[in-house]
Amino acid sequence: MILRRLNQAGIEAFRQFLETCRSHTDINHPCDLLEDSALTTVVQPTIEVDQRHFGERRDAAHYLNGLLQPLSDHQIESDAGLWTWLSLCFFDEICPLRNGRRQIKKDYSYIFEPMNSRHVYRHLLFVAWRLLKLAPTHNRLFLGGPVSSLDQATSEVMKRLYITRIPCVFEVLDRLYWDKNRGRIRSGVVTTERVSPGDLRHRFPIRIRQLEMTYDLQSLNADQLIELLGAEFQNTDSPIT
Amino acid sequence: MIKRVNFTGRKRIARSHVRVEVRDGTPRTFDALVNLDGTGMPIGASVFLEAMCAGSTVVRRFPFGAVERIIPPKDRTLDGIEGENVFFALKVVDNRERIGRILGIAENIRPERAGIQTATGRQGILPIETAPLGQQLWDLHFGEIDVCLRVNDEISGLKERARWDPIFYAAIYPAIVRQILSRALAEGVDVEEQSDRWPVLWLKFAKSLHPDQETPPTPDTSEEDRDSWIDAVVDAFCRQHTLKDEFVKHLPTDVDDA
Repeated sequence: MILRRLNQAGIEAFRQFLETCRSHTDINHPCDLLEDSALTTVVQPTIEVDQRHFGERRDAAHYLNGLLQPLSDHQIESDAGLWTWLSLCFFDEICPLRNGRRQIKKDYSYIFEPMNSRHVYRHLLFVAWRLLKLAPTHNRLFLGGPVSSLDQATSEVMKRLYITRIPCVFEVLDRLYWDKNRGRIRSGVVTTERVSPGDLRHRFPIRIRQLEMTYDLQSLNADQLIELLGAEFQNTDSPIT
Repeated sequence: MIKRVNFTGRKRIARSHVRVEVRDGTPRTFDALVNLDGTGMPIGASVFLEAMCAGSTVVRRFPFGAVERIIPPKDRTLDGIEGENVFFALKVVDNRERIGRILGIAENIRPERAGIQTATGRQGILPIETAPLGQQLWDLHFGEIDVCLRVNDEISGLKERARWDPIFYAAIYPAIVRQILSRALAEGVDVEEQSDRWPVLWLKFAKSLHPDQETPPTPDTSEEDRDSWIDAVVDAFCRQHTLKDEFVKHLPTDVDDA
């Protein structure tokens, strides 16, 4: 299939399907929209899209980065129709049938809103593509989960542009919050219940904001930033309690 | 009262040391003349210019060489900077002793010259941009440097009406002032600080409006006292602009008849 973008009417048709699907969770998604010439236009240059299974967000990230390579990043980041078409194309991956039913999330998980800073990072396919762009390495905290949902660590980081635009930040996050022994994120770092010293959800963003007043964080490497973060962030071998 | 002190040690650089021109295009590009003579910035320190736009979180960063040798980068395109209210920040950064420390900063630098896509000169303390807001008519976007009123981009002419329509103005601006001042007080800035960040500018503005020119309360003041101070400022704002009278004067006559 050739990569297309939905026009406004196409996006509204998809939105209508999502609404219907919330009350009729077993209906098929409208694949016929994908090549409807009244609701879509072909993306130029033409790009061939393969239907495939994404096990993890990482699989989607690598596939989409390769797929969209002919396009400029700026074009990709602002194209609502493109990402919404991709959502429809890979709907079984981002909204899988479980026991014959789909659990439909908020529209912004599937319909891309590039101008809405509160929603833009919640698009399930865009966030995968964007993460790999920002973090070609040191990304295991964020790319290991399923593509069909947005985990708390990814959400907490990707919603804050002032964090993601620090070049060394993904290496810092990996060193601070990856549990080497268990091969997963350290326990307690994104919990909502309490604020813990050195946690990712509460303390890391606050500390970065404080450091921004004094330091140009874009100029630092990971060692320098970790040192500046202070003592509460140095004990990376034990779970946060 | 708790005295708030700037501990960062960074020096404020006058905006006159940077002159910016933004050129129309898709995307737009810019030229900047940076002259740090007389600022006391140390030789060897790195210089960066950052471009932003009111109502957006996008920041574009451009290396401009060193204090003694300003070299503009070849690529000066403003990719992702979409609105008309573009502004810049200049940073001078230590790269020798305390790596990354900001030695000097100039914020809120507006283009002196620009094409039709970009606003020039000072924009006041509340720039207005359009944004996709769904069923909301307006919201406020709080950035690092500025606060921006965003109006729904699906309503033709709303951005202009937000500037002159007395009915719209009277209905929303008291709420806007209240909301911004509440957030500004929570920032805990010093109103005497030489800064162009929005909380400082808004609290200075509010202090000048307050009937007793009362200094803004600190974050540790009781909520009741903070609300009382804000109420006094909002009331003064409404009186200064005779918002009720203007509202009544411009109200369509058939509203009374309904």
